[in-house]
Amino acid sequence: MIRSDKVRALFAAPYLSWAVIFIVVPLLMVFWYGFTDGAGRLSLANIAIITRPEYLKSLGLSMALSLVSTLLCLLIAYPLCLILTEKKTGRAAVIVLLFILPMWMNTLLRTMAWQTILEKTGILNTILRFLHLPSIYIINKPQAIVIGMVYNFLPYMVLPLYNALAKIDDSVIHAAHDLGADRRQTFLRVVLPLSVPGIVSGVTMVFIPALTTFVISQMLGGNKILLIGNIIEQEFTQAYDWNLGSGLSIILMIFIILNMVIEAALDRAPEK
Amino acid sequence: MERKELIRLEHVSKAFDGQTVLDDLNLVIHENEFVTLLGPSGCGKTTTLRIIGGFEKPDSGRVILDGRDITSLAPNKRPLNTVFQKYALFTHMDVAENIAFGLKIAGRDKAFIEDKIHYALKLVNLEGLEHRSVSSLSGGQQQRVAIARAIVNEPRILLLDEPLGALDLKLRQDMQYELIRLKNELGITFIYVTHDQEEALTMSDAIVVMNQGYIQQIGSPEDIYNEPENAFVADFIGDSNIIDGTMIRDRLVRILGQEFPCVDTGFGTEQPVDIVIRPEDVELTAAGEADGGLTGEVTDVIFKGVHYEMCVMAGGFEWLVHSTRMFGEGTRVRIGVDPFNIQIMNKPASEDEEAVSENDQIR
Amino acid sequence: MTKFLKRVYIFLIVFFMYAPIAVMVVQSFNRSKSRGHWGGFTTQWYLSMFGDRSIMAALRNTLSIAFLSSLIATVISVLACLAIVQMKRRTRRAVMGVTNIPMLNADIVTGISMMLLFLSFGLKFGYGSILIAHITFNIPYVILSIMPRLTALDKSYFEAALDLGASPVRAFFRVVLPELMPGVISGMLMAFTMSIDDFIITHFTKGAGVDTLSTKIYTEVRKGIKPEMYALSTLIFVVILILLLLLNGSRSKAGRKKAPGGRSILEIAPAAFLVAGLAVSACSLTACGSAGEEAGAEASESNVVYVYNWGEYIDPDVIELFEEETGIRVVYDEFETNEIMYPRVAAGASRYDLVCPSDYMIQKMIQNQLLQPLDWMLLPNASGYIGEKYMAQARSFDPGNRYSVPYCWGTVGILYNKTLVDPEDDMESWDILWNPRYKDDILMQDSVRDAFMVALIRNGADSNTTDPAELEAALSSLMEEKPLVQAYVIDEVRDKMIAGEAAIGVIYSGEALYTQEENPDLEYVIPREGTNLWIDGWVIPAGAEHVENAHRFLDFLCRPEIALMNFDYIYYSTPNEGAHALIEDEEVRNSPVLFPELSQYDNLQTFTYLGEAMDRYYNDLWIRLKSY
Repeated sequence: MIRSDKVRALFAAPYLSWAVIFIVVPLLMVFWYGFTDGAGRLSLANIAIITRPEYLKSLGLSMALSLVSTLLCLLIAYPLCLILTEKKTGRAAVIVLLFILPMWMNTLLRTMAWQTILEKTGILNTILRFLHLPSIYIINKPQAIVIGMVYNFLPYMVLPLYNALAKIDDSVIHAAHDLGADRRQTFLRVVLPLSVPGIVSGVTMVFIPALTTFVISQMLGGNKILLIGNIIEQEFTQAYDWNLGSGLSIILMIFIILNMVIEAALDRAPEK
Repeated sequence: MERKELIRLEHVSKAFDGQTVLDDLNLVIHENEFVTLLGPSGCGKTTTLRIIGGFEKPDSGRVILDGRDITSLAPNKRPLNTVFQKYALFTHMDVAENIAFGLKIAGRDKAFIEDKIHYALKLVNLEGLEHRSVSSLSGGQQQRVAIARAIVNEPRILLLDEPLGALDLKLRQDMQYELIRLKNELGITFIYVTHDQEEALTMSDAIVVMNQGYIQQIGSPEDIYNEPENAFVADFIGDSNIIDGTMIRDRLVRILGQEFPCVDTGFGTEQPVDIVIRPEDVELTAAGEADGGLTGEVTDVIFKGVHYEMCVMAGGFEWLVHSTRMFGEGTRVRIGVDPFNIQIMNKPASEDEEAVSENDQIR
Repeated sequence: MTKFLKRVYIFLIVFFMYAPIAVMVVQSFNRSKSRGHWGGFTTQWYLSMFGDRSIMAALRNTLSIAFLSSLIATVISVLACLAIVQMKRRTRRAVMGVTNIPMLNADIVTGISMMLLFLSFGLKFGYGSILIAHITFNIPYVILSIMPRLTALDKSYFEAALDLGASPVRAFFRVVLPELMPGVISGMLMAFTMSIDDFIITHFTKGAGVDTLSTKIYTEVRKGIKPEMYALSTLIFVVILILLLLLNGSRSKAGRKKAPGGRSILEIAPAAFLVAGLAVSACSLTACGSAGEEAGAEASESNVVYVYNWGEYIDPDVIELFEEETGIRVVYDEFETNEIMYPRVAAGASRYDLVCPSDYMIQKMIQNQLLQPLDWMLLPNASGYIGEKYMAQARSFDPGNRYSVPYCWGTVGILYNKTLVDPEDDMESWDILWNPRYKDDILMQDSVRDAFMVALIRNGADSNTTDPAELEAALSSLMEEKPLVQAYVIDEVRDKMIAGEAAIGVIYSGEALYTQEENPDLEYVIPREGTNLWIDGWVIPAGAEHVENAHRFLDFLCRPEIALMNFDYIYYSTPNEGAHALIEDEEVRNSPVLFPELSQYDNLQTFTYLGEAMDRYYNDLWIRLKSY
């Protein structure tokens, strides 16, 4: 008999080499570029540049917009998922599918469609004018970017949240009722805490792409609003300054890691 | 003994998706009683429990508690608590928090809650586990937490929905005694749902045998076992030989062509009936080739510890026999039954009951 | 009541999710090419999209990359999982930690990290680099969907099969794999979806002449999305929708209980793959010609020319004529600004043979030794027909005309909508861009030198100044202007002005005539303070591999009748005097907008390259303006 264990250990070889070459090495290169200047000397300038007001401002704006969008996604998705999990049957699955379906249509096109809807002579304002209502002018403003972020990333909140809520057994909710809790108490003391893992992964899945986007701000911000993602993208594709771009990416990664640490802590807390 | 009525179900019916689960159910449960709802899955026992608990609303009929109609009272307003099938513990809380849940909702003060937790844990033999995460507990321990969580609220009735279903045999037997002890200590009514007849016979003051949405029989464990009212109950409770027979006249019945004296009267003459004979009531004696009476041949023998379990082919029917005396395979035996041990029942009249017995035969 | 409210809530969210999709569907039937305008119902785009070579190529790339990357990722992942599951706890955690990186990291960081890797190791960007990147970010999805199933799988399961006499390989395929299948399929489907939807990572790893639908759309966003793209997306959407409905219908009919969530996705998977496979083959059939060429591309790698040009800056028929005449295949890519073009060429990962930058950028490329001198012997048409005054002008950035042949030239001016501006206002001055009356009605150029040129000239400075004080002053002027600006745009200015979305826009003279044709209310003026005179010229990068083909294509473009054809399509002023003489419409030939008499103006300035330090300085100013 062949010992299959040894053979099986070899199965990891393609993946491990792939991971080292295409995940680990590229990241090390980002760090290398981030911590050196154009001439290859060690330097912290690319990191320190974030303290300049214009960079701080765009980082702050990115943080603010992504936090607002994440919160909005959560506030919109939570009641929705509660309603969907009530149904339990095939109907809910169909509706959940409705939220995955748009992902098959190109993100850029869908975001572009919002420009068509929101712009000055766009669909929304045409309708408003027809109804003799005052027009809404939010295109190229932070509000439009928030709409774009919520629109693009809402499914990423809905799916984990729905899964977490669907996992809560009916009998647990019944048990809470049985022990005297009314609907509000049941929600606050049982359903909400039990859905924390779903909230946590939903928040991560929305916050990180929102924090780092450059496409949405470009399409719905009229290039007037500079997010940290836009700066990084421009450093690579226009300014041709890989060192600065990498330095800013490292700062972005610090925020991502920070976000993950906070969420890991949150995730562990309720389990004791 | 003076028994005070506690809860009453009146003409309760319930259907899911057009499928009738309970049909005009009437049931009275008394104070300080251990009542078991027993039946195969889908018989409506869990639905009955959920209607009492308030998790389902009956389509028609009323639930009366202490003379008060509670049919549409929300579960959180009812003075009863439930131990759920899969425990339904709150996994985001530790043991103590789980137990304290109901008390906190009720707004009890801290010291009281502490006391109660301590008391309840002692009652279910889980002292010292206050701050363990519930998911780190074994199945039996989780079960005890679920019970503790329910009883600290001092309910009038404790509802238990197959609470021991997920436990292994040994643990289940231990828990059965624990539950009896608990019931005696607490002095409250237990309504217990199970499909395990042994569990029901061990623990209950009264058993309600249900099938297909109907109550088949209500009685003490002894009544149910010794005097099953129909073939379904007879078959469901313990092992039985259920045979088609004819009541010749009072106190005489024909079974498989042989006449047997019995003690029953009032079935008329030449009436087809169902005969139930428990395996331990069949008396075997060695018989020669030419002997008369109901004779047959042993086809199978298994040693069961306390007794032998034998199959005997006699009169075209395969008898199940429990006896301390062993007859080898192929031995010719004569079957005898004490008149007191022949249980005679009317053939089911209604179609529903027919369905019951048909269903039963398939099983 | 609450039930009603719940329904309304779900409806509102679904409406929010699908309104943009509805907009796209409607646009796919819009006869007008302009986004905002309804020009009547048509299905022509559904037909013409199949004839659009670039869209079909992008679709083919998208599907085949999604298909291949998810397939390869799945194979690698299944093998990896089998090994990971029996690793020691600590090793396993380390491996899973690395696996999680691409999922948790921001796409933009993953994208640039791979870009840096490819560049540093001199890998050529193209189909392969995109495929590698997609496999990399797909693997975690597959691994994470297989692992739970594998860990849940009892080891005795595999051993039981061995015990029953199956060989390990057989046992794996007959017993273990079927058990893992739901995880494998859902992981693969997830990877497929992710790959199709990805833009950011592809954006950083794509190379010359290779586009996926995402990157194609991204370039189109700036110059107006082709209606064919809406038609294609609608078609894809409808196919997926029908597929889901069919599956759902058949499942309901079978009367099985539907598990919420995940399960339905699993059941779609095989069908989705089938559709993808079919679509890939269908595309290769319909786009047979180009597909065949594409396939044979590797073999005849020498018989191509890689061209990198501005968006909407050539007549597609010209390319076809050239291909027919010479048999040389043209791989054609577009850029939006000089600044976007530069890193692509400078990094050397995309080896273009012919690029069309502007004056100051040509100078920069010459200085940084990114260009090779042209062989004028191979360019008889260029030397014969390009006007001497343009050659003279070009010498300001390309001394001796060694590296470039002028392609188009023009000015930067103000385009305004007569119906939206006050006739009293002076439109012939840059000052109009600072008039608060036109708040949110002004479109500025999203190109750093052009934007600063406007402010510098308005402030009376030279547009090539390196004086920090003047530049700081220009920056404050632009900051002052920013609240009035509706958007900073490049090619979108055309569509937006035509649609009446803005009253005033800064625009290249070449766009003026086209926009006026579409919307007669538009008027183009050159501000009297002066403006930029620009010349775009063809250059051959130092790293070009098909130098001879590049010369042939360049000379082809300089033939008068070809240059005329091109002029009729793009409407930018041509320096080709042979073509100019051939223009039949006298009004056009003598148009003061298209062919202004340069001697009339003494304040037209051509950009010069200001050096590396100024590049960085300009970039900082730009970031300060944008984040202001």
